[in-house]
Amino acid sequence: MRFAAAIDTATLDKVSSAFKPLYPREELLRGVQFQMNLGVTPSAVEQIGYRRSSPDQTHILLLIPPSLLMSQLAPYPGWDQFFTRFCRDWGVWKKSVGYRKIIRIGVRYINRIDIPSSEPVVYEEQFLSVYPQIPEVLGPMTQYAVQAQLPIVDIGCNLTLNSSVVPSPLLGHRSFVIDQDIGKDNPPQNDDGIYQLLKQIRATKNRVFEACITDRARELFEPCLG
Amino acid sequence: MSGVVFHPQMPTVLGPTVPPRLEEAFSAETNEIARLVAGLRNQPSPASLRSEPRLAPDEQPLETRLFDALAAVKILTAQVAMHLDGEWRRKLFGQLDSLHDPEEWEAGDEPVGPSSFATFLKAILSIRPERRPGLGLSHTGNIIAAWTTGRDRLTIEFLPNDRVRWVLALYHDGEEPDRFAGQTPVSRLAEGITPYHSEHWFSHESKGDEFTR
Repeated sequence: MRFAAAIDTATLDKVSSAFKPLYPREELLRGVQFQMNLGVTPSAVEQIGYRRSSPDQTHILLLIPPSLLMSQLAPYPGWDQFFTRFCRDWGVWKKSVGYRKIIRIGVRYINRIDIPSSEPVVYEEQFLSVYPQIPEVLGPMTQYAVQAQLPIVDIGCNLTLNSSVVPSPLLGHRSFVIDQDIGKDNPPQNDDGIYQLLKQIRATKNRVFEACITDRARELFEPCLG
Repeated sequence: MSGVVFHPQMPTVLGPTVPPRLEEAFSAETNEIARLVAGLRNQPSPASLRSEPRLAPDEQPLETRLFDALAAVKILTAQVAMHLDGEWRRKLFGQLDSLHDPEEWEAGDEPVGPSSFATFLKAILSIRPERRPGLGLSHTGNIIAAWTTGRDRLTIEFLPNDRVRWVLALYHDGEEPDRFAGQTPVSRLAEGITPYHSEHWFSHESKGDEFTR
């Protein structure tokens, strides 16, 4: 979630402390920007945010003004648990920060498909329906990455869809990623509207994912489309 | 293999198109091109966002170094969590936490290295041993796994960059053990130890059994 206004340091510290019981691990995030004004010596401005996490690092919360980000790493508990977690954390946030205008709500879903194969050549068309088409004369691909951006009219969102080959963490496998980023600018401001939007995004994500893979890919795993 | 990440447009710390303070120094067209180019990048998951430490590793507090090392390998584990049994993963994290207990940490030792741990995960997911190994750390932060059957022992050190070093000790009654060793890419680990009967080390049935030679 991205908010219209920045959040001051005192409020940021307060909200990070409020999340401590839920995310015991706290790390400071630092980023340095160089402020350049003509005729003035450049100065470094340090932005600070917080990264909070569960001990096993599967639940992650990023407080980076003006954004609030929640992340769930595998193993995935399913939508119901994740949505419950969102509602809980949203409540903690509101209690600490109060109302702030939301200018964007987005959800990103990163799905990796591991395909048993020891060949260096990618046969993406057997598993995915989103991939680059190149002239046959150029021969098979070993790597690729493509991106498409398109509106999702029925829910007023935009989808950024990435499909790529990624290094596999498994021996004897090739791995593809289907990476969806679905977001809405000027989203609803009240809880019911936010929750409704998230459910719509989730349904859209499932539809997009199903459209992006082939039956052969489906055979490889039990999709966790929670 | 599905996951969800609440993700607004990328925060600036992940790498803005043109640093906001510099935008005024470029034309509107340049800024737009930079924005479009940045939009084509496959951005990393925000979950992987970490700050570069301001201090050199040996200048950081011990707790910070140990926490950072543990967090890095737990995030690596998340990449393959869908292939791991939940209980296996939970116990693995318990072993890692125990190995990095600040109160028992030896000064000068290195915490687990992510590259060594990635090699370990590849090996475990390839071999899929029924028996869990005992785990240790080398002085340089490499994961060491050991399987013991009777007095026989297989020890594997997982090196960075997908290499492994292994040592076998096989006992005969009343004799010094025969020792065998090898160093291979992790992709050939299983092949390397096959002559020494993998099931002797990795199968539940072998626990405590004598190795039939």
